Amino acid sequence: MTRILITHADEPIGRRIVKNLYHDPEVEIIFALGSGPPPRKFDAYLAGSEPRVTYTRLDHAKHRPVHDLFHSAAFRAADVDTVVYVPRHGAGASASTPLVGGLSERTAESRLLLQQCLETRAIRNLVAIGSAFVYRLPPGNANHLSEDSELNFDPNVMPEVRAWIDSDMIFHNEVNNDRLRVVLLRVPTVVAAGGYVYLHPSLAGRPGSRVRALGFDPICALVSDKDVARAVRAATRTPVSGIFNIAGEEAVPLSMLARWTGHTTIPVPGPLLGLVDATERALGIESRLGAGGGAHLRYGFTLDTKRAAEELGFRSQYRIGLARAGDGALRLETASV
Amino acid sequence: MSEIGPPQSVEDIADPLAAQGRALGHDPFDDLVGTDPLTERLDQLEARGGPESRPRTRSAPRRKLTAAPPIGARSSAPQKTASPDENRPGSDNLARLTRRRWSTTPARAEIELPPPKGLIDRLLNPDERRILAALAHLVEGEAPYDRFGYSPEVMKRTFLLFHTLYRLYFRVRSEGHEHIPAEGPAVLAGNHGGLLPFDAAMAVIDIALETDPPRLARTIVDRWAGSLPWVNLFYARVGQVVGTRENFAKLLQDGQLLLVFPEGIEGIRKTIAHRYRLQAFRVGFIENALRARAPIVPVAFIGSDDQSPILFDIKPLARSLGIPVAPITPTFPWFGPLGLLPYPVSYRIVYGEPLRYHERFGPDGADDSRLVRYLANQVRRAVQLLIDRNRQ
Repeated sequence: MTRILITHADEPIGRRIVKNLYHDPEVEIIFALGSGPPPRKFDAYLAGSEPRVTYTRLDHAKHRPVHDLFHSAAFRAADVDTVVYVPRHGAGASASTPLVGGLSERTAESRLLLQQCLETRAIRNLVAIGSAFVYRLPPGNANHLSEDSELNFDPNVMPEVRAWIDSDMIFHNEVNNDRLRVVLLRVPTVVAAGGYVYLHPSLAGRPGSRVRALGFDPICALVSDKDVARAVRAATRTPVSGIFNIAGEEAVPLSMLARWTGHTTIPVPGPLLGLVDATERALGIESRLGAGGGAHLRYGFTLDTKRAAEELGFRSQYRIGLARAGDGALRLETASV
Repeated sequence: MSEIGPPQSVEDIADPLAAQGRALGHDPFDDLVGTDPLTERLDQLEARGGPESRPRTRSAPRRKLTAAPPIGARSSAPQKTASPDENRPGSDNLARLTRRRWSTTPARAEIELPPPKGLIDRLLNPDERRILAALAHLVEGEAPYDRFGYSPEVMKRTFLLFHTLYRLYFRVRSEGHEHIPAEGPAVLAGNHGGLLPFDAAMAVIDIALETDPPRLARTIVDRWAGSLPWVNLFYARVGQVVGTRENFAKLLQDGQLLLVFPEGIEGIRKTIAHRYRLQAFRVGFIENALRARAPIVPVAFIGSDDQSPILFDIKPLARSLGIPVAPITPTFPWFGPLGLLPYPVSYRIVYGEPLRYHERFGPDGADDSRLVRYLANQVRRAVQLLIDRNRQ
């Protein structure tokens, strides 16, 4: 039996993972953390005299609250042995967000959580969700990337991606730890029912207008949030450590994904993208490009998931496409096949 | 026939002619005929790895297929998916789950064509429509594109234009199609010429027309092309792929047919004095072919070096502009961009017998840099011989 702690359980991917693990008979206790009030969907989980799920509000990026939680009586009583790090989905790592101790929020969270996992001897497994946008993208409409592909250490990379890379490196450093089993899952753009898109540097967030590079329409790898939850479940059960790419079968051009998710795209000539970024920064608007002009707006990628299939036993089970909703509108949906 | 002794260094293997102080371009392979400087080494490797079996063949059950549904509204054929139990490691089903099945196309006779819709359908003859419908089956899943951006809809429009060029402008004649494997991974390696890659375009059309089930030859293009606005899009939508190691390996893993020009950019830089004399071959395609157990089919393109003969290549200008070649041709730059268009030369495409190095050396051979270089030279030799025999 496993006792699991999940960060950012109040955000969509975290909620999905809690739901998946709740129905796993191998999971005894779920210790859910969130920065806001518990989601309404948790009411059923939290009900009863001895619920399997407990929910705690916490600022994940601050040292004191995190330290206090890991040394609290409730946490010790739960005897958690597995931690699932779900990153915050929003633009917390953007340039406009205040830094925590000189680090972006996502980097600070990753570092604090890993530190506590290393110091708490009861914790033997850490499963972290990272982003596949950490890879350096060679020129081309679509590039197939494996776990061994080069990471993007370009200093001009956009702040969101830089935070992902920092977080990735923090966990990457411990994948060979003898005591703590670390599994890092790199996921591409996550699609949830209702047409919601998460973890894409440009398209995540509310529908609106987005800049894209004129003459380019990169292929975007997609994965369903349900498949991400299945991958996390597989990672908690399987006694392997390392880095794994997680992706679904579908890959669509950026323009199509933007259309599907209700965004309008404004094509801008490539050389002007840097200027757009500088203008956005000057106006205090959240930057989605980076000084380098956003390689992800020019070059696309798909992921090699062979390692995840062989070692974790994970294979995507959900297809992503347009479906007609009850109101007659076409929406991006995921469906099991 | 002179003997070449055992190699003393990697450089000797990398360019056997250089070791003898000979210049490339004057019958470079004659001295190698009948010699095998690495025989001993290769035999050792063979003994270690053992002869590799032929590539796995999958004889898919024949069933009646219909043309792919309209793009954007197509629903994929039901596919076997894994139950949670099957996904668990250690399951007997794991091997089946992790084994990638080859992307195959149905035979033309198995395609039932729907009534033509739109102008493009009406302009295409039924056989062409069957070919395109068969190629559309390469796209799986709900999205109208494959993982590398191939779009059957764009291919349909492009096919019409390039088939016209194939028949009327370049008047392509081809032979040796029987050497193209009917299924499974294979690498076509050919000579490159002409400023614009019409040799690749003609090969794609030719292979689609002459194979049944129709095969889509996916050309491996230079990274520079992937950074060009619109060009990168066009290449991707018609099935061409930027040549990274991972892309190459993935396509072969999926059992696709690849067309490579191992000369790379050097091939199109050749001036008129060096036309049809092959430049040094890169070795990446050999490594990937060995690892994927794919045969290598040498291909000769006769006509490509005549379509835009380069009189001079101003290399300093090319370097300063960040472009691979700054050519002076009889028509460029005098007629502006129109001067880049190819002359209406007659094309001849000849496919040679497959070189099954994978059967002898196996995937382990890809780790031996001297062997890989040697095999690349052997492929270059085979292509050069095809060119010399057929260039009359």
